Amino acid sequence: MVRAKILAQFIRWEWALEYRRSNGWFLPVLFAAMVGYLVSLLVRQPNPVQWLSLLWITLVFSALQTATRSFSASPSEWIYLNQLARPSELLLGKSITTALNTVFVAWTGVFLFGLWLGWPRPEGLDAFPIWTFLTSITLGAVAMSTTLSFTAALSSKLSRNTGVMAILSLPLLLPTLLVAMRSSKLALLGEPWTVLYPNWLGELALSALPLALGALLFPYLWRS
Amino acid sequence: MKAWKLLGLALVGYSLYAGLMFEVPRLVILNETIRNLYFHVPMWFTMIALLGGSLAYSIRLLRSGDAGQALDLDRDRQAKNFAEVAMVFALLGLFTGMVWAKATWGAYWTADPKLNGTAVTLLIYAAYFVLRGSVDDPEKKARLGAVYNVFAFVLMIVFIGILPRMTDSLHPGNGGNPAFGNYDLDNGMRLVFYPAVLGWIFTGWWIATLRVRLARLNS
Repeated sequence: MVRAKILAQFIRWEWALEYRRSNGWFLPVLFAAMVGYLVSLLVRQPNPVQWLSLLWITLVFSALQTATRSFSASPSEWIYLNQLARPSELLLGKSITTALNTVFVAWTGVFLFGLWLGWPRPEGLDAFPIWTFLTSITLGAVAMSTTLSFTAALSSKLSRNTGVMAILSLPLLLPTLLVAMRSSKLALLGEPWTVLYPNWLGELALSALPLALGALLFPYLWRS
Repeated sequence: MKAWKLLGLALVGYSLYAGLMFEVPRLVILNETIRNLYFHVPMWFTMIALLGGSLAYSIRLLRSGDAGQALDLDRDRQAKNFAEVAMVFALLGLFTGMVWAKATWGAYWTADPKLNGTAVTLLIYAAYFVLRGSVDDPEKKARLGAVYNVFAFVLMIVFIGILPRMTDSLHPGNGGNPAFGNYDLDNGMRLVFYPAVLGWIFTGWWIATLRVRLARLNS
């Protein structure tokens, strides 16, 4: 059903159109940086939970920025793409590139938060638990991106889609956000991966579910 | 008039009378507010039933275009009107719950998983109406609306399923709170509660079908 060769071709195509042009990938990164800097000016020395909440709010809106652009191609580009790939391959390819973009933006956001707001240091920990924390953030970003890819595909079909994308996505992102927030909070408190992995599995499940649903529904969407 | 419609009305009438007049168990804190079981909980059952109906119509709409035929736009009308009536029941469930919460918890709103689930459901379907409103072409409107309806319904059910496992809840039936269930729900209460649920589902379904017929006449 899904041909690996086409997916590889798709990612090369994305590379040529998106990443080689700096205005493509740079926009959401810049957005994350600006919001992060704004937060660092407004909030001084937040406690770890506040730090994390602000980080996730920044990440959600940056991910929204990233995903909104993922289906914005010109009509001639779509005609080319439709000849190249089946609908399910199209959605999967777009979801993969959106996930990569979102993870990149999330890492940038985390790094800038650490730089500008300082790394939170919960009591009784001598070092920041960077690996478990980054894993939680990464899986959360991937989970957000799969839901967002689908809503982006939906809203790309609208002629007046300003604002509709956010309205469609935010309620659907709540479960993902709650699981990701809990997972990263536990990681921040220094819990080992043996405690964290049920949440990671939850994040993985929340990435897979929108993908599966999307693969079923996308052909109907694309026909219009 | 079909029998189930009359039955629905009769059951609602019975549950209104019996719910207010019959004996109920005397429990601390809950006291007489336990009667809210007959009015608050059936609203949610009705909402889920109507949303299920809306989902089924959306799926049938999408499948009607499978063989290259034009979409059956009447299915879209049904899906939309069922979702609308479901949201009225969601609001009724919310208000009856808020009045009850003020009496027992001391506040109209808390950050309880059950309340978050409700808020998300209302937001998702509000987004569904906004999405439909922002498309002019009826065929495109029907298709996009149906796709979002199916996508959102599944995620909403998952959300309502996982939320209570994420945080503690004060809501009856969660975390060892006095529940409208098991040992509290005695047989006398069952005799009112189950008819109330059935009656409200029938009545809600009837209201939705009436709205569909009205919409057909208006179009």
